[in-house]
Amino acid sequence: MPSVHEVRAEITASVWKVVVEEGQMIAEGDEIVILESMKMEIPVITEVPGVVRELHVEPAQTVQEGDLIALIDES
Amino acid sequence: MSGDRDSGERSEQARPESTVHEWGPLIGELARRKELALGMGGADRVERQHSLGKLTVRERLEILVDPGTWVEYGLLADHMDAGLGDRYLAADGAVTGVGQIDGRLVAIAAYDFTVMAGSMGRVGEDKIKRLRAHALDKRMPMVWLLDSAGARIQATSGSSFAGAGDLFREQVAMSGVVPMVAAMLGHCAAGTAYIPGLADFVPMVKGTSSMALGGRHLVKAAVGEDVTEDEMGGSGVHTKISGVADLEVADDRECLETVRRYLSFFPSHNREAPPVRASDDPVDRRVEELYDIVPTAPRRAYDVRKVVTAIVDDGDVLWMKPAWAKNLVTGLARIGGAPIGVVANQPMVLGGALDVNAADKAARFVWLCDAFNIPLVFLHDVPGFIVGSAVEKQGIIRHGAKMLFAVSEATVPKISVVMRKSYGAGYFVMNGLAYEADYIVAWPTAEIAVMGPDGAVAIIHRRTLEAVPVEEQAQRRLELAEEIRANIDPYVAAGHAQLDDVIDPADTRAAIARGLEVSAAKRVERPWRKHGVLPV
Repeated sequence: MPSVHEVRAEITASVWKVVVEEGQMIAEGDEIVILESMKMEIPVITEVPGVVRELHVEPAQTVQEGDLIALIDES
Repeated sequence: MSGDRDSGERSEQARPESTVHEWGPLIGELARRKELALGMGGADRVERQHSLGKLTVRERLEILVDPGTWVEYGLLADHMDAGLGDRYLAADGAVTGVGQIDGRLVAIAAYDFTVMAGSMGRVGEDKIKRLRAHALDKRMPMVWLLDSAGARIQATSGSSFAGAGDLFREQVAMSGVVPMVAAMLGHCAAGTAYIPGLADFVPMVKGTSSMALGGRHLVKAAVGEDVTEDEMGGSGVHTKISGVADLEVADDRECLETVRRYLSFFPSHNREAPPVRASDDPVDRRVEELYDIVPTAPRRAYDVRKVVTAIVDDGDVLWMKPAWAKNLVTGLARIGGAPIGVVANQPMVLGGALDVNAADKAARFVWLCDAFNIPLVFLHDVPGFIVGSAVEKQGIIRHGAKMLFAVSEATVPKISVVMRKSYGAGYFVMNGLAYEADYIVAWPTAEIAVMGPDGAVAIIHRRTLEAVPVEEQAQRRLELAEEIRANIDPYVAAGHAQLDDVIDPADTRAAIARGLEVSAAKRVERPWRKHGVLPV
């Protein structure tokens, strides 16, 4: 059964870069976005392979810990 | 169970000359009883155990212990409980004894799920108590194989509960004297959940094991929650979310092999040095892979596990709690064949910043290694502790203090390698110079300071920046940051002799080996006290 996987922020941060586009195929471990916090680039990766269904952030936006970053259709 | 007198009389008639020395029936009865005990809960129960994807207690011991070394205690035990009638409980559901792992003695207590769900009966617990005493008196590690439903509440001894609990107190007394391992091989509730809670190392089999203070039925009755054992206390919960367990393993065999591997890093007790094994990996091997692994750009992330793997003997690391608090990695490895405990910041997760769980994970690992004379190696790349209201509510000061406490208290040789950033209290808790670092070196990329240049600009030059026109602020901020960066260059620290050396990253393995060699005889005396007041 394909399922929808949620990618969430692990830390309060600002969004530095969005690496993927909606509809893009991704592999397990691929970067979805890169956050900036604690003076570090923090890559947010997907733990499942699939297709990016929705992106919920854009560059320069602030995210709180637990905020939804993307939905992945797991394949 | 009174023996078979008839067969004895028959053989007397056949061989009348041996009437005074008729051992046959006695030996036969002994063999019958032993065979019955080795049959565990019976063929049906053994089949059920296998159908659950689990091995039997006897099969587990065969994997755990060196062949031919098992000395069993109390094989012929039974429940001896009038309330259970004439029902036979093999070994009273708890197989105990002493065996060898890699040629060294280990006391083992293994619950047998095929015997009344491995429930803790009085006789079985008496047997395990005897093994705990044996482990402590003879100074050998204790291993529990846990596959038990918890207390045997059907037993008639319920009214004696007020006298119970010695198992946990004794385990506390053993802590830091002999290594303790609790292997989770089944669903364990209540009593059998505090045993791992007090053990040093807890591997869990995925899918078939769990631990929870209250079992599923009790939870339903007490709080109305309807959950499976796996949802409540499976390996997913305890290795990823709670941090109670150390490692998730695929099956019983991998679990038992992991226990053997874990113990290979430890001495039998705290007055002994950890075992050194022969290694063909030269201690002065240059680690040029590090040039590719670690970016010189300070903000760029990388996987620090690759750094650790590249540095240690044969790339062999036993990661502890690898799926929990991933912003800091801890692992057991060797350099020059001698065990070390590695603590490293992980820039790939949360930028390597420290939070409550990372501090907790590090403190516990440092206490573990220090208790058993395993030198510590700290690899710094830390932007500091996470700040903000969220972490204050979680008690970051208390948890940060715990890590400070553990690192300060540790008297084993402590080596530090500052790879890139090491800011603020992050530098202290990662064993900065002032923390009795026995050898502290840095890479040319190292930045040791109270905070990073960008943060420092925001605080030191806030007024200056406010006076600059808005469109020029970004440029001015960069210039000021560069001025500050010039002062946190490792050669400033080296110039003050606050670093013992600045090294080529490719020489990191050799530097750690040198540091360990010159610190091997370390002895630290502290003022007498009963114990510190631990900020846990």
